[in-house]
Amino acid sequence: MHRSAWQRFGSNRGAVIGALLVALLVLFALVGPWCVRFDPNLSDFVTGTDVDGSPVGPSAAHLLGVDNLLRDQLSRLAHGARISLAIGFVATLLSAGVGLLVGLVAGWTAERRHGWVDQGLMRLVDVGLSLPYLVLVMALGVALGDVTLTTLLAVLGLTSWFGTARVIRSKVIQLRSVEFIEAARALGQTELGIARRHLLPNVLSTLVVIATAHVAAMIIAESVLSYLQVGLPPPTATWGRMLQEGQSAIAERPLMVVAPGVMILLSVLGFNLLGEGLRDVLDPKHE
Amino acid sequence: MLRRLTTRLLWSVFTIWAVLTLTFAIFNWLPGDPARVLAGPQARPADVQVIRDQLGLDQPVTTQYARFLGRLLRFGGSAEQHPNAAFWGPVGLDLGESYLKRQPVVSLIGKALGPTLLVGILALAIQVALGVLFGVMAAYWKHTVFDWGAVLLTLLGISAPTFLTGLLLQHLFARTLGWFPLDGYGESQLEILRSAFLPSLTLGLYGAAFYTRLVRDEMLTLLQSDFVRTARAKGLSERQVVFKHTLRNALVPLVTVIGMNVGSLVGGAIVTERIFRWPGIGTLTVNAIFDRDGPVVVAVVLLFSVAVVVSNLLVDASYVALDPRVRR
Repeated sequence: MHRSAWQRFGSNRGAVIGALLVALLVLFALVGPWCVRFDPNLSDFVTGTDVDGSPVGPSAAHLLGVDNLLRDQLSRLAHGARISLAIGFVATLLSAGVGLLVGLVAGWTAERRHGWVDQGLMRLVDVGLSLPYLVLVMALGVALGDVTLTTLLAVLGLTSWFGTARVIRSKVIQLRSVEFIEAARALGQTELGIARRHLLPNVLSTLVVIATAHVAAMIIAESVLSYLQVGLPPPTATWGRMLQEGQSAIAERPLMVVAPGVMILLSVLGFNLLGEGLRDVLDPKHE
Repeated sequence: MLRRLTTRLLWSVFTIWAVLTLTFAIFNWLPGDPARVLAGPQARPADVQVIRDQLGLDQPVTTQYARFLGRLLRFGGSAEQHPNAAFWGPVGLDLGESYLKRQPVVSLIGKALGPTLLVGILALAIQVALGVLFGVMAAYWKHTVFDWGAVLLTLLGISAPTFLTGLLLQHLFARTLGWFPLDGYGESQLEILRSAFLPSLTLGLYGAAFYTRLVRDEMLTLLQSDFVRTARAKGLSERQVVFKHTLRNALVPLVTVIGMNVGSLVGGAIVTERIFRWPGIGTLTVNAIFDRDGPVVVAVVLLFSVAVVVSNLLVDASYVALDPRVRR
């Protein structure tokens, strides 16, 4: 019996858990910063210290305690969530867009009249995949001095589309010889029309799966850069930087490492599960 | 076959050249002045100018690039003539001199390569050993508590960033239990091995999770295939069926993925070496980037892209060796 994609999604445990984690994360990023009572960048000298003057652990005022500079951890986590998600989504949008375009053009021209276009693009992809992009992004970060959200997005988005382009290209080549495309051509549709009406919708399911996993990769990339101190400059609260700042205090205040660490772990897990679930749902052969 | 091989090799050389040129361009066109960084914030403009002259930073980027490419490979000559070159027989590799340390880049790379390779190889061993072991067990005991546990752990392992795993391992095994050194390298071989363990485990666990899933999925598919049923029908023992017939076939995709993961090992090394203060390529890279030590950065990128390109070639070669159908 044929089941709709939604039904298959609903019965895929991983996909549902992933979707739930992602939904919770988005909710936390959207609503969290309004609900917290403290400014993420202000030290709280009133309720932020213990009797002996050291930063407090979890308390009624500060549910997750405060960091070395007496800033509310929960508030910083919530603001960090916005940054992680913004980077995850926007960088992925950029990367998926470029990857889709390059992949479509390369796949459509491969082994045809304009085969050199495909050859050129794929050599470019080879070069891109051999670049240590973490090193490049770090070098750019150091050279640009103050990294802004825009530069970070541009750099991450524009250095990570190579893999996507390669997968989309092979998907296009595989689809090209499928019967319904041949039929469309026999009916006299233009090449561009076929690409838009028949190829694109079929490629999109592949793209959605790649993009979902890509969000996870971008969240990790941002936190690695922040951890290496070449991400957004302080005092901006990002999970990677919170972890880096907590590193020296791990013995006294383990929450400073564990809290941002768990947030990164759960978000990456959520997007990974969702991506795999979508793959199983959209491509039933994989089940 | 021979023609395909030659084309592949030529494209590989092209790829490496393109990466090199791109890195050179990016690093030289970026704002900021290495001479300024080297001289320090208090230096007089005249002193900065002297350094700039010494390093040849005043010349146009194209001239610097031509000089860089011109001396990259030396044929003939000796180590006395070219102090910055490393020679293997008649061929010398000259990557210039570090701005900051005033040492040949090749010797800096040479010194850092050993520690990184040690951790890389140990990590790879951990990845493959754990991955194959748990993958086979999870597939064999499919849908049991063991399988669910393995699936859950691998999901967590894949999603945990290396710096989180590293920090937690460091806290648990070094700071709390004191079984291993907190960070650093060590003097004797035993000390070095002990220090290498935690960084290797950090890198290893991530890959192990990845390979466990791969081996499990591959084994599950293969265990249902006709040749396994035939092997069972012939009356072979379970051990022979699982290890000799199924696992050997499951290892083919593993080789591909190992080859493709060389890049991620290098990327992971940057973070892991930072956590454990390990004196390898990752640390060299991070320091060079912060010091704006251009020659070192370009050299590291070159090393990385060569590693990726060569491992891709090896993966292709292994297809031919492992799967007779590719041989045409």
